Amino acid sequence: MWRVFSASATGQRNVDQGAAGQDASHCRVTDEVLVAVVCDGAGSAREGRTGANFVAHALAEQLSGTLDAGRHLLDLQAEGGARLEGVVRDAIGAVRGRLGELADASGIALPEYSCTLVGCVAAPGGGCLFHIGDGFAIVQSASGESVLSRPENGEYADETYFVTDENWKEHLRLTPLGAPGRGSVIGLMSDGTAPFAVDRARSGFFRPFIDPVAAYLREAAVPTGNEALRNLLESPRASEISSDDKTLLLAFVL
Amino acid sequence: MNTVIPDVALIDNSDERAPLALVLDCSGSMQEDNKIQLLNDGLKALAADLKADPVAARCGRVLVISFGGDGNVEIMGDWTDAMDFAPPQLLAGGLTPLGAAMRCALDEVESQKSQMRTAGVPYKRPIIMLLSDGEPTDDWRAVAAECKSAETAHKVNIMAIGIGDAANKDTLGHFSNKGALNLSGLKFKELFIWLSRSIRAVSRAPAGGTVQLNPVDSWAQLST
Repeated sequence: MWRVFSASATGQRNVDQGAAGQDASHCRVTDEVLVAVVCDGAGSAREGRTGANFVAHALAEQLSGTLDAGRHLLDLQAEGGARLEGVVRDAIGAVRGRLGELADASGIALPEYSCTLVGCVAAPGGGCLFHIGDGFAIVQSASGESVLSRPENGEYADETYFVTDENWKEHLRLTPLGAPGRGSVIGLMSDGTAPFAVDRARSGFFRPFIDPVAAYLREAAVPTGNEALRNLLESPRASEISSDDKTLLLAFVL
Repeated sequence: MNTVIPDVALIDNSDERAPLALVLDCSGSMQEDNKIQLLNDGLKALAADLKADPVAARCGRVLVISFGGDGNVEIMGDWTDAMDFAPPQLLAGGLTPLGAAMRCALDEVESQKSQMRTAGVPYKRPIIMLLSDGEPTDDWRAVAAECKSAETAHKVNIMAIGIGDAANKDTLGHFSNKGALNLSGLKFKELFIWLSRSIRAVSRAPAGGTVQLNPVDSWAQLST
Protein backbone atom coordinates (compact mmCIF):
# COMPACT_ATOMS: atom_id res chain seq x y z
CA MET A 1 0.00 0.00 0.00
CA TRP A 2 2.82 2.46 0.87
CA ARG A 3 5.89 3.57 -0.98
CA VAL A 4 8.12 5.80 1.11
CA PHE A 5 10.99 8.04 0.01
CA SER A 6 13.16 10.19 2.22
CA ALA A 7 16.28 12.28 1.98
CA SER A 8 18.25 14.78 4.05
CA ALA A 9 20.69 17.44 2.94
CA THR A 10 23.14 19.12 5.27
CA GLY A 11 22.57 22.87 5.20
CA GLN A 12 25.29 25.23 4.02
CA ARG A 13 25.49 26.75 7.50
CA ASN A 14 26.63 23.40 8.92
CA VAL A 15 28.82 22.59 5.91
CA ASP A 16 30.67 25.90 6.40
CA GLN A 17 31.33 25.05 10.02
CA GLY A 18 32.43 21.52 9.20
CA ALA A 19 29.44 20.23 11.17
CA ALA A 20 27.20 17.30 10.27
CA GLY A 21 23.49 17.69 9.52
CA GLN A 22 21.20 17.78 12.55
CA ASP A 23 18.11 16.26 10.86
CA ALA A 24 17.04 12.62 11.03
CA SER A 25 14.15 10.58 9.72
CA HIS A 26 12.94 7.02 10.10
CA CYS A 27 9.92 5.06 8.97
CA ARG A 28 8.48 1.60 9.43
CA VAL A 29 5.67 -0.07 7.50
CA THR A 30 4.07 -3.10 9.16
CA ASP A 31 0.96 -4.71 7.72
CA GLU A 32 -0.12 -1.57 5.88
CA VAL A 33 0.44 0.62 8.93
CA LEU A 34 2.92 3.41 8.23
CA VAL A 35 4.79 5.06 11.09
CA ALA A 36 7.17 7.84 10.07
CA VAL A 37 9.09 10.45 12.07
CA VAL A 38 11.28 13.43 11.12
CA CYS A 39 13.38 15.19 13.77
CA ASP A 40 15.46 18.36 13.58
CA GLY A 41 18.21 18.66 16.18
CA ALA A 42 18.59 22.16 17.62
CA GLY A 43 21.60 23.96 16.17
CA SER A 44 22.24 25.49 19.59
CA ALA A 45 22.36 22.08 21.33
CA ARG A 46 25.65 20.16 21.57
CA GLU A 47 24.08 16.75 20.91
CA GLY A 48 21.17 17.87 18.72
CA ARG A 49 22.14 15.44 15.99
CA THR A 50 22.27 12.52 18.43
CA GLY A 51 18.93 13.54 19.91
CA ALA A 52 17.28 13.76 16.48
CA ASN A 53 18.62 10.36 15.41
CA PHE A 54 17.65 8.72 18.67
CA VAL A 55 14.11 10.11 18.75
CA ALA A 56 13.34 9.45 15.07
CA HIS A 57 14.47 5.82 15.22
CA ALA A 58 13.29 4.92 18.68
CA LEU A 59 9.88 6.53 18.27
CA ALA A 60 9.08 4.99 14.87
CA GLU A 61 10.15 1.55 16.12
CA GLN A 62 8.36 1.88 19.44
CA LEU A 63 5.08 3.02 17.90
CA SER A 64 5.23 0.44 15.16
CA GLY A 65 5.89 -2.29 17.71
CA THR A 66 3.11 -1.17 20.05
CA LEU A 67 0.58 -0.93 17.27
CA ASP A 68 1.56 -4.29 15.83
CA ALA A 69 1.52 -6.09 19.15
CA GLY A 70 -2.06 -7.18 19.62
CA ARG A 71 -2.93 -5.75 16.20
CA HIS A 72 -4.26 -2.94 18.14
CA LEU A 73 -4.81 -0.22 15.60
CA LEU A 74 -8.09 -1.53 14.23
CA ASP A 75 -9.49 -1.66 17.76
CA LEU A 76 -8.26 1.85 18.44
CA GLN A 77 -9.89 3.17 15.31
CA ALA A 78 -13.14 1.47 16.20
CA GLU A 79 -13.18 3.59 19.35
CA GLY A 80 -12.35 6.84 17.60
CA GLY A 81 -9.04 8.69 17.60
CA ALA A 82 -8.71 9.29 21.34
CA ARG A 83 -7.02 6.02 22.19
CA LEU A 84 -4.61 6.20 19.26
CA GLU A 85 -3.62 9.62 20.51
CA GLY A 86 -3.03 8.16 23.97
CA VAL A 87 -0.76 5.49 22.46
CA VAL A 88 1.22 8.16 20.61
CA ARG A 89 1.56 10.33 23.72
CA ASP A 90 2.74 7.35 25.79
CA ALA A 91 5.26 6.32 23.14
CA ILE A 92 6.76 9.82 22.99
CA GLY A 93 6.93 9.88 26.80
CA ALA A 94 8.70 6.50 26.83
CA VAL A 95 11.23 7.49 24.17
CA ARG A 96 11.86 10.80 25.92
CA GLY A 97 12.47 8.81 29.13
CA ARG A 98 15.02 6.59 27.37
CA LEU A 99 16.75 9.65 25.94
CA GLY A 100 16.92 10.99 29.49
CA GLU A 101 18.64 7.76 30.61
CA LEU A 102 21.12 8.06 27.76
CA ALA A 103 21.80 11.66 28.77
CA ASP A 104 22.32 10.67 32.42
CA ALA A 105 24.65 7.83 31.47
CA SER A 106 26.71 10.25 29.35
CA GLY A 107 26.73 12.93 32.03
CA ILE A 108 25.15 15.41 29.61
CA ALA A 109 22.07 17.50 30.33
CA LEU A 110 18.91 16.48 28.46
CA PRO A 111 18.44 19.92 26.77
CA GLU A 112 21.75 19.31 24.96
CA TYR A 113 19.83 16.67 22.96
CA SER A 114 17.08 19.11 21.95
CA CYS A 115 15.19 18.24 18.77
CA THR A 116 11.82 18.89 17.19
CA LEU A 117 9.48 16.10 16.15
CA VAL A 118 6.95 15.72 13.34
CA GLY A 119 5.44 12.34 12.51
CA CYS A 120 2.47 10.27 11.45
CA VAL A 121 0.69 7.01 12.05
CA ALA A 122 -1.35 6.08 8.99
CA ALA A 123 -3.34 2.91 8.38
CA PRO A 124 -6.01 2.04 5.80
CA GLY A 125 -8.72 3.21 8.21
CA GLY A 126 -7.07 6.46 9.37
CA GLY A 127 -4.45 7.63 11.81
CA CYS A 128 -2.98 10.83 13.20
CA LEU A 129 -0.19 13.37 12.86
CA PHE A 130 1.93 14.26 15.89
CA HIS A 131 4.12 17.32 16.19
CA ILE A 132 6.31 19.25 18.63
CA GLY A 133 7.99 22.45 17.40
CA ASP A 134 8.66 23.53 13.82
CA GLY A 135 8.59 21.63 10.52
CA PHE A 136 5.44 20.66 8.63
CA ALA A 137 3.29 17.59 8.05
CA ILE A 138 0.97 17.69 5.04
CA VAL A 139 -1.45 15.02 3.91
CA GLN A 140 -2.69 15.76 0.40
CA SER A 141 -5.54 13.71 -1.05
CA ALA A 142 -5.79 12.70 -4.71
CA SER A 143 -8.28 15.55 -5.24
CA GLY A 144 -5.82 18.06 -3.79
CA GLU A 145 -7.36 18.79 -0.37
CA SER A 146 -4.83 18.98 2.44
CA VAL A 147 -4.67 18.35 6.16
CA LEU A 148 -1.72 20.13 7.77
CA SER A 149 0.21 20.21 10.98
CA ARG A 150 1.97 23.59 10.95
CA PRO A 151 5.03 24.73 12.91
CA GLU A 152 4.68 26.19 16.37
CA ASN A 153 7.08 29.07 16.84
CA GLY A 154 7.39 32.02 19.14
CA GLU A 155 6.09 35.32 17.79
CA TYR A 156 9.19 36.31 15.83
CA ALA A 157 10.06 32.92 14.35
CA ASP A 158 13.47 31.83 15.63
CA GLU A 159 12.34 30.09 18.80
CA THR A 160 10.56 26.76 18.80
CA TYR A 161 9.74 23.82 21.07
CA PHE A 162 11.49 20.52 21.62
CA VAL A 163 10.72 16.94 22.66
CA THR A 164 13.27 17.44 25.41
CA ASP A 165 11.42 20.43 26.92
CA GLU A 166 10.12 19.94 30.44
CA ASN A 167 6.62 20.95 29.30
CA TRP A 168 6.64 18.96 26.04
CA LYS A 169 3.08 17.73 26.64
CA GLU A 170 1.78 21.31 26.38
CA HIS A 171 3.37 21.64 22.95
CA LEU A 172 2.49 18.19 21.58
CA ARG A 173 -0.10 18.70 18.85
CA LEU A 174 -2.12 15.79 17.47
CA THR A 175 -4.17 15.97 14.26
CA PRO A 176 -6.54 13.12 13.41
CA LEU A 177 -6.40 11.70 9.87
CA GLY A 178 -9.13 10.03 7.85
CA ALA A 179 -8.51 7.01 5.66
CA PRO A 180 -5.76 7.88 3.16
CA GLY A 181 -7.24 7.16 -0.27
CA ARG A 182 -5.36 6.03 -3.36
CA GLY A 183 -3.28 8.84 -4.80
CA SER A 184 -2.77 10.50 -1.40
CA VAL A 185 0.67 11.65 -0.36
CA ILE A 186 1.92 12.29 3.16
CA GLY A 187 4.86 14.67 3.55
CA LEU A 188 6.93 15.23 6.68
CA MET A 189 9.63 17.89 6.57
CA SER A 190 12.05 19.87 8.69
CA ASP A 191 11.86 23.66 8.66
CA GLY A 192 14.70 23.99 6.11
CA THR A 193 12.54 22.32 3.45
CA ALA A 194 9.32 24.23 4.14
CA PRO A 195 10.16 27.54 2.35
CA PHE A 196 9.98 25.86 -1.06
CA ALA A 197 7.80 22.80 -0.37
CA VAL A 198 4.90 24.67 1.28
CA ASP A 199 2.76 27.31 -0.46
CA ARG A 200 2.69 30.97 0.55
CA ALA A 201 -0.59 30.77 2.44
CA ARG A 202 0.67 27.73 4.40
CA SER A 203 -2.40 25.85 3.17
CA GLY A 204 -0.67 22.86 1.56
CA PHE A 205 2.22 21.77 -0.62
CA PHE A 206 3.49 24.32 -3.15
CA ARG A 207 2.05 22.57 -6.20
CA PRO A 208 4.75 23.62 -8.71
CA PHE A 209 7.17 21.88 -6.33
CA ILE A 210 5.29 18.76 -5.29
CA ASP A 211 3.52 17.86 -8.53
CA PRO A 212 6.69 17.15 -10.56
CA VAL A 213 8.32 15.48 -7.54
CA ALA A 214 5.32 13.21 -6.98
CA ALA A 215 5.01 12.38 -10.69
CA TYR A 216 8.67 11.32 -10.74
CA LEU A 217 8.65 9.36 -7.49
CA ARG A 218 5.47 7.43 -8.25
CA GLU A 219 7.35 5.83 -11.16
CA ALA A 220 10.70 5.44 -9.38
CA ALA A 221 12.29 2.58 -7.48
CA VAL A 222 13.00 3.54 -3.87
CA PRO A 223 16.83 3.79 -4.06
CA THR A 224 16.71 5.88 -7.24
CA GLY A 225 13.92 8.06 -5.85
CA ASN A 226 15.80 8.67 -2.62
CA GLU A 227 18.89 9.69 -4.56
CA ALA A 228 16.87 12.04 -6.80
CA LEU A 229 15.20 13.58 -3.76
CA ARG A 230 18.57 14.11 -2.07
CA ASN A 231 19.95 15.73 -5.22
CA LEU A 232 17.00 18.10 -5.21
CA LEU A 233 17.47 19.07 -1.54
CA GLU A 234 21.20 19.54 -2.11
CA SER A 235 20.73 21.58 -5.30
CA PRO A 236 22.28 25.07 -5.42
CA ARG A 237 18.85 26.68 -5.77
CA ALA A 238 17.54 24.93 -2.63
CA SER A 239 20.69 26.01 -0.76
CA GLU A 240 20.13 29.60 -1.83
CA ILE A 241 16.64 29.53 -0.37
CA SER A 242 17.63 28.04 2.98
CA SER A 243 21.02 27.47 4.59
CA ASP A 244 19.37 25.13 7.11
CA ASP A 245 19.40 21.31 7.06
CA LYS A 246 16.62 19.97 4.85
CA THR A 247 14.72 16.72 5.25
CA LEU A 248 11.72 15.53 3.26
CA LEU A 249 9.93 12.23 3.73
CA LEU A 250 7.16 11.44 1.23
CA ALA A 251 4.85 8.46 1.59
CA PHE A 252 2.59 7.59 -1.35
CA VAL A 253 -0.54 5.47 -1.17
CA LEU A 254 -0.33 3.15 -4.15
CA MET B 1 22.30 8.17 -14.16
CA ASN B 2 19.08 10.08 -14.41
CA THR B 3 18.52 11.10 -10.82
CA VAL B 4 17.46 14.67 -11.38
CA ILE B 5 13.75 15.31 -10.98
CA PRO B 6 12.75 17.49 -13.96
CA ASP B 7 10.66 20.68 -13.95
CA VAL B 8 10.57 21.29 -10.21
CA ALA B 9 9.91 24.93 -9.27
CA LEU B 10 12.17 25.93 -6.37
CA ILE B 11 10.87 29.26 -5.07
CA ASP B 12 11.13 30.81 -1.63
CA ASN B 13 7.59 31.09 -0.27
CA SER B 14 8.66 32.09 3.21
CA ASP B 15 9.22 35.86 2.93
CA GLU B 16 8.21 37.79 5.99
CA ARG B 17 5.10 39.87 5.41
CA ALA B 18 5.03 43.61 6.01
CA PRO B 19 1.48 44.61 7.02
CA LEU B 20 0.30 48.20 6.40
CA ALA B 21 -3.05 49.56 7.61
CA LEU B 22 -4.07 52.91 6.11
CA VAL B 23 -6.53 54.88 8.25
CA LEU B 24 -7.89 57.61 6.01
CA ASP B 25 -10.04 60.64 6.81
CA CYS B 26 -13.00 60.84 4.40
CA SER B 27 -14.98 63.45 6.32
CA GLY B 28 -16.84 66.27 4.58
CA SER B 29 -13.91 68.65 4.76
CA MET B 30 -11.89 66.33 2.53
CA GLN B 31 -14.05 67.61 -0.37
CA GLU B 32 -12.36 71.00 -0.10
CA ASP B 33 -9.36 71.77 -2.28
CA ASN B 34 -9.87 68.51 -4.16
CA LYS B 35 -8.22 66.68 -1.25
CA ILE B 36 -10.23 63.47 -1.59
CA GLN B 37 -9.25 63.15 -5.24
CA LEU B 38 -5.59 63.79 -4.45
CA LEU B 39 -5.85 61.11 -1.76
CA ASN B 40 -7.33 58.67 -4.28
CA ASP B 41 -4.53 59.48 -6.72
CA GLY B 42 -2.01 58.94 -3.94
CA LEU B 43 -3.40 55.48 -3.22
CA LYS B 44 -3.08 54.59 -6.90
CA ALA B 45 0.54 55.74 -6.84
CA LEU B 46 1.13 53.59 -3.73
CA ALA B 47 -0.36 50.51 -5.41
CA ALA B 48 1.65 51.02 -8.59
CA ASP B 49 4.93 51.65 -6.79
CA LEU B 50 4.55 48.60 -4.54
CA LYS B 51 3.78 46.40 -7.54
CA ALA B 52 6.83 47.74 -9.38
CA ASP B 53 9.09 46.11 -6.78
CA PRO B 54 8.99 42.30 -6.75
CA VAL B 55 9.93 41.97 -3.07
CA ALA B 56 7.46 44.62 -1.84
CA ALA B 57 4.77 43.18 -4.13
CA ARG B 58 5.19 39.76 -2.47
CA CYS B 59 5.70 40.92 1.10
CA GLY B 60 3.42 43.93 1.48
CA ARG B 61 -0.05 43.34 2.97
CA VAL B 62 -2.44 46.28 2.76
CA LEU B 63 -5.73 47.18 4.47
CA VAL B 64 -7.65 50.44 3.96
CA ILE B 65 -9.90 51.77 6.71
CA SER B 66 -11.86 54.95 5.95
CA PHE B 67 -13.74 57.14 8.39
CA GLY B 68 -16.41 59.75 7.65
CA GLY B 69 -19.97 59.49 6.44
CA ASP B 70 -22.54 59.21 9.20
CA GLY B 71 -20.04 58.64 11.97
CA ASN B 72 -18.95 55.50 10.19
CA VAL B 73 -15.74 53.57 10.08
CA GLU B 74 -15.51 51.33 7.05
CA ILE B 75 -13.02 48.53 6.38
CA MET B 76 -12.61 48.70 2.61
CA GLY B 77 -12.21 45.02 1.69
CA ASP B 78 -9.83 42.45 3.19
CA TRP B 79 -6.11 42.47 3.82
CA THR B 80 -4.54 41.93 0.40
CA ASP B 81 -1.04 41.19 -0.84
CA ALA B 82 0.50 44.31 -2.37
CA MET B 83 0.63 42.53 -5.73
CA ASP B 84 -3.19 42.27 -5.67
CA PHE B 85 -3.93 45.64 -4.07
CA ALA B 86 -6.63 47.56 -5.96
CA PRO B 87 -7.19 50.90 -4.21
CA PRO B 88 -10.83 51.66 -3.34
CA GLN B 89 -12.43 54.88 -4.63
CA LEU B 90 -12.90 57.03 -1.53
CA LEU B 91 -15.75 59.54 -1.21
CA ALA B 92 -15.82 62.46 1.25
CA GLY B 93 -18.72 63.33 3.53
CA GLY B 94 -19.80 63.41 7.17
CA LEU B 95 -17.99 63.48 10.50
CA THR B 96 -14.49 62.61 11.76
CA PRO B 97 -14.75 59.50 14.02
CA LEU B 98 -10.99 59.22 14.27
CA GLY B 99 -10.93 57.41 17.62
CA ALA B 100 -13.22 54.63 16.39
CA ALA B 101 -11.16 54.30 13.21
CA MET B 102 -7.90 53.85 15.13
CA ARG B 103 -9.57 51.36 17.47
CA CYS B 104 -10.63 49.41 14.38
CA ALA B 105 -7.07 49.58 12.98
CA LEU B 106 -5.52 48.24 16.21
CA ASP B 107 -8.03 45.37 16.25
CA GLU B 108 -7.54 44.55 12.59
CA VAL B 109 -3.76 44.53 12.93
CA GLU B 110 -3.89 42.21 15.92
CA SER B 111 -6.31 39.83 14.24
CA GLN B 112 -4.21 39.77 11.05
CA LYS B 113 -1.12 39.01 13.17
CA SER B 114 -2.94 36.24 14.94
CA GLN B 115 -4.08 34.73 11.62
CA MET B 116 -0.55 34.84 10.25
CA ARG B 117 0.81 33.36 13.45
CA THR B 118 -1.69 30.48 13.31
CA ALA B 119 -0.73 29.80 9.71
CA GLY B 120 2.99 29.98 10.50
CA VAL B 121 3.52 32.98 8.21
CA PRO B 122 6.33 35.18 9.53
CA TYR B 123 5.78 38.93 9.62
CA LYS B 124 7.40 42.28 10.34
CA ARG B 125 6.07 44.81 12.79
CA PRO B 126 2.93 46.27 11.15
CA ILE B 127 2.61 49.96 10.25
CA ILE B 128 -0.55 51.99 10.80
CA MET B 129 -0.62 55.26 8.87
CA LEU B 130 -3.27 57.75 9.99
CA LEU B 131 -4.15 60.68 7.72
CA SER B 132 -6.60 63.35 8.90
CA ASP B 133 -7.48 66.92 8.02
CA GLY B 134 -9.64 67.86 10.98
CA GLU B 135 -10.70 67.49 14.58
CA PRO B 136 -11.96 64.13 15.85
CA THR B 137 -15.69 64.19 16.48
CA ASP B 138 -15.67 61.17 18.77
CA ASP B 139 -13.99 60.18 22.00
CA TRP B 140 -10.38 59.54 21.01
CA ARG B 141 -8.23 59.90 24.14
CA ALA B 142 -8.42 56.33 25.44
CA VAL B 143 -7.66 54.92 21.99
CA ALA B 144 -4.75 57.31 21.52
CA ALA B 145 -3.24 56.07 24.79
CA GLU B 146 -3.68 52.48 23.62
CA CYS B 147 -1.95 53.34 20.36
CA LYS B 148 1.05 54.68 22.23
CA SER B 149 1.29 51.68 24.51
CA ALA B 150 0.95 49.30 21.53
CA GLU B 151 3.93 51.12 20.01
CA THR B 152 5.90 50.88 23.23
CA ALA B 153 5.20 47.12 23.33
CA HIS B 154 6.63 46.85 19.76
CA LYS B 155 3.26 45.62 18.49
CA VAL B 156 2.95 48.25 15.77
CA ASN B 157 4.50 51.40 14.29
CA ILE B 158 2.13 54.34 14.00
CA MET B 159 2.56 57.35 11.71
CA ALA B 160 0.12 60.18 12.35
CA ILE B 161 -0.06 62.79 9.60
CA GLY B 162 -2.09 65.99 9.44
CA ILE B 163 -3.43 67.34 6.16
CA GLY B 164 -3.57 71.12 5.77
CA ASP B 165 -3.83 73.90 8.33
CA ALA B 166 -7.08 72.75 9.91
CA ALA B 167 -5.55 69.47 11.09
CA ASN B 168 -4.98 69.47 14.82
CA LYS B 169 -1.41 68.30 15.10
CA ASP B 170 -1.57 68.25 18.89
CA THR B 171 -4.43 65.77 18.81
CA LEU B 172 -2.82 63.62 16.12
CA GLY B 173 0.42 63.66 18.07
CA HIS B 174 -1.29 61.76 20.88
CA PHE B 175 -1.57 58.66 18.65
CA SER B 176 2.16 58.03 18.28
CA ASN B 177 5.22 58.23 20.51
CA LYS B 178 6.90 59.98 17.60
CA GLY B 179 4.29 62.75 17.50
CA ALA B 180 2.60 63.87 14.28
CA LEU B 181 3.87 65.27 11.00
CA ASN B 182 2.13 67.67 8.64
CA LEU B 183 1.72 67.08 4.94
CA SER B 184 3.38 69.91 3.07
CA GLY B 185 0.94 71.53 0.68
CA LEU B 186 -1.14 68.63 -0.59
CA LYS B 187 1.72 66.36 -1.57
CA PHE B 188 -0.28 63.14 -1.27
CA LYS B 189 1.54 61.49 -4.13
CA GLU B 190 4.98 62.20 -2.68
CA LEU B 191 3.76 60.88 0.68
CA PHE B 192 2.52 57.60 -0.79
CA ILE B 193 5.63 57.07 -2.90
CA TRP B 194 7.69 57.60 0.27
CA LEU B 195 5.45 55.08 2.05
CA SER B 196 5.93 52.53 -0.72
CA ARG B 197 9.71 52.99 -0.54
CA SER B 198 9.49 52.45 3.21
CA ILE B 199 7.60 49.19 2.69
CA ARG B 200 10.27 48.19 0.15
CA ALA B 201 12.96 48.81 2.78
CA VAL B 202 11.05 47.00 5.53
CA SER B 203 10.44 44.01 3.21
CA ARG B 204 14.17 43.63 2.68
CA ALA B 205 15.27 44.12 6.27
CA PRO B 206 16.61 41.06 8.10
CA ALA B 207 14.33 39.61 10.78
CA GLY B 208 14.56 41.43 14.08
CA GLY B 209 16.68 44.26 12.67
CA THR B 210 15.87 47.94 12.58
CA VAL B 211 15.17 49.79 9.35
CA GLN B 212 16.42 53.23 8.42
CA LEU B 213 13.59 54.93 6.52
CA ASN B 214 14.14 57.60 3.90
CA PRO B 215 13.95 61.23 5.04
CA VAL B 216 10.44 62.65 4.90
CA ASP B 217 11.34 66.02 3.40
CA SER B 218 9.78 65.17 0.02
CA TRP B 219 6.34 65.56 1.59
CA ALA B 220 6.51 66.69 5.21
CA GLN B 221 6.25 70.23 6.47
CA LEU B 222 8.96 70.16 9.09
CA SER B 223 8.44 73.59 10.61
CA THR B 224 5.48 73.77 12.95
